[in-house]
Amino acid sequence: MTEPLLRVRDLAVEFDTEQGVVRAVDGVSFDIYPEETVGLVGESGCGKTVTGLSLLGLIPQPPGRIAGGSIEFGGRDLVQTSEDEMREIRGSDISMIFQEPMTALNPVFTIGTQMVDVLRLHKPLSAAQARREAIDMLGHVGIPAPARRIEEYPHQLSGGQRQRVMIAMALSCGPKLLVADEPTTALDVTTQAQVLEQINKLQEEFRMAVILVTHDLGVVAETCRRAMVMYCGKIVETAPIEELFARPRHPYTMGLLNSIPRIHEQRPERLPVIPGRVPDLLHLPPGCRFAARCERVLDRCRAEQPELSGRDSAAACFNPEPA
Amino acid sequence: MELLQYSLRKIATGIPLVIGVTLISFLLMVYFGPDKTYELVGKNPTAEQIAEVRAELGYDQPVAVRYLDYLRELVTLDLGFSDSTGERVSAILARTIPISAAVALPGFILGNLFGVLLGLFAAFYRGVWPDKFIMAAAAIGMSISFLIVIIAFQILLSSSYGLNLFPVRGWDVHSIGDYVLYVTVPTLATVFVALGYNTRFYRSVIVEETTRDYVRTARAFGMPAGPLYYKLILKNCMIPIITRIMFSIPFVVISGSLLIESYFGIPGVGKVTYDAIVTGDQPILKAVVALTAVLLVAVQLLTDIMYRWVDPRVALK
Ligand SMILES: Nc1ncnc2c1ncn2[C@@H]1O[C@H](COP(=O)(O)OP(=O)(O)OP(=O)(O)O)[C@@H](O)[C@H]1O
Ligand code: SF4
Ligand SMILES: [Mg+2]
Repeated sequence: MTEPLLRVRDLAVEFDTEQGVVRAVDGVSFDIYPEETVGLVGESGCGKTVTGLSLLGLIPQPPGRIAGGSIEFGGRDLVQTSEDEMREIRGSDISMIFQEPMTALNPVFTIGTQMVDVLRLHKPLSAAQARREAIDMLGHVGIPAPARRIEEYPHQLSGGQRQRVMIAMALSCGPKLLVADEPTTALDVTTQAQVLEQINKLQEEFRMAVILVTHDLGVVAETCRRAMVMYCGKIVETAPIEELFARPRHPYTMGLLNSIPRIHEQRPERLPVIPGRVPDLLHLPPGCRFAARCERVLDRCRAEQPELSGRDSAAACFNPEPA
Repeated sequence: MELLQYSLRKIATGIPLVIGVTLISFLLMVYFGPDKTYELVGKNPTAEQIAEVRAELGYDQPVAVRYLDYLRELVTLDLGFSDSTGERVSAILARTIPISAAVALPGFILGNLFGVLLGLFAAFYRGVWPDKFIMAAAAIGMSISFLIVIIAFQILLSSSYGLNLFPVRGWDVHSIGDYVLYVTVPTLATVFVALGYNTRFYRSVIVEETTRDYVRTARAFGMPAGPLYYKLILKNCMIPIITRIMFSIPFVVISGSLLIESYFGIPGVGKVTYDAIVTGDQPILKAVVALTAVLLVAVQLLTDIMYRWVDPRVALK
């Protein structure tokens, strides 16, 4: 098999809070291969965004910090890379787009200014060249009349168009990896489908890898080759998509799958909750973090932490669902 | 076109404000202000003398008539004569307003400019020592009274106990050099006092702005801190910055010039107003009050236009 593009090992991210130190990401390891789309799924607060941000060295500091682990990309460890070098990587080798297209763009600058700024940060272009590229890029992501749109401000665009602008900005410097943090969550269902389709199309065209962060397994099923399921700061299961849907091993994944609405049912904002509550990151149980909500819990689960045994298909569980 | 329509509408709605402000000030002045009569009649006046002076001053008319006279004076721009010196009020204003502007503007501009710059700097280093140092200095600056600052600067820079570089009082300006000489100490005092408040305010605005999503986006695209702060964040802060600057103008005009001009013996409009309050020179006070009200309306209009200019989401309605 080819070399992974990104190799994350034992990544840990901590935040100082009033109540104490919170470990939002705790020993996460995964590989991303070139040109693949991988879903990162889990309920709100499980650490998806924090994982994504740490790949770009964007953990707000203070209160946060990368407390351990390594992020290998392009032959170096991004955890050890200086801020200046990280700045070169951001937006050019690794891009990230965010959930809130409403607020993620700068409200007082035109789309054009924002895109031209990004292009000229990473490429030696004149303002006019950058503008032409920006218009090109906007057309590429399916914005009609891009030469006119480029003069407009974010508030003059619809939510879907704003997200397309974000995508255009993210792809304008040809990144090898795109981290898309819930890019469609804020959009209505139709727009959501269109934007996802666009990302998929561009992913092939630009030959980049995509980490698609979402809490919606339905989205993962439609777009990803592989998925990683996160719970409470840990990856609890990872598997190719067909396998994950056909034979989930981790009871949490099982719970998530069961709560996917059936076809023709209205899609709810959030996944219906699995019985019980997500434990507070400040008061984690000593054993498996899912134990309090798990139907398959064993005595061992309460004492020991299950580890993820493999990278391609594995579940961190002492008593997985039968295959 | 949109702008012109808007301006006209805004000016029209400003008229009631001018009327309200002038009416209230006028009533306060008539019922609580000093009475000029006794200053003019001299010692042991007879009843006739008093009545004569009162008629001359117009005090014998009913209040309503006097207020309408006031409005007529404003509309015709015929502001009458000073009760104290007999000089034309419009001539006094034409002479003193430019002096006041020349005295107040440098301090006002520099106080805000440095406030924004220090605010940006402190916000960038928030939580670490440059921020803590600036904020501590600001707190000290804010806790010292304006008077003490003025006196301290006068002693330090303008007296034989200190450097003795500048004239202590007065305004004998015939050249740029004179201007610099006379304006430096008042400006330093103003900036010193304003800077603490301004820096604190601007820092908090900027810090708040750094938590916005678009800042995270810009960072995620590799934007360096320089353009991030000086371009992206600053432009987004312009609304609160403009608001503060514009709405402090009336205070600067009224209280700032009053203090500065009386302590530096500068014959500006603040000094004239101060004297007019003390002596009850109503024609001057009426003109100054009306002028302040008009300034208020103008400031509001200008503020709205500036909002539109810095933020495309603002519509002039
Ligand atoms: N700036 C911060 N300060 C303190 N704690 C933080 C901060 N950012 C994140 N956290 C902690 O990290 C945890 C994970 O947050 P994260 O944003 O990664 O969740 P998420 O999986 O992206 O959820 P969502 O679906 O709501 O976006 C949060 O529960 C919170 O406790
Ligand atoms: S380790 Fe135990 S408690 Fe945790 S998910 Fe597996 S069976 Fe459930
Ligand atoms: Mg998130």
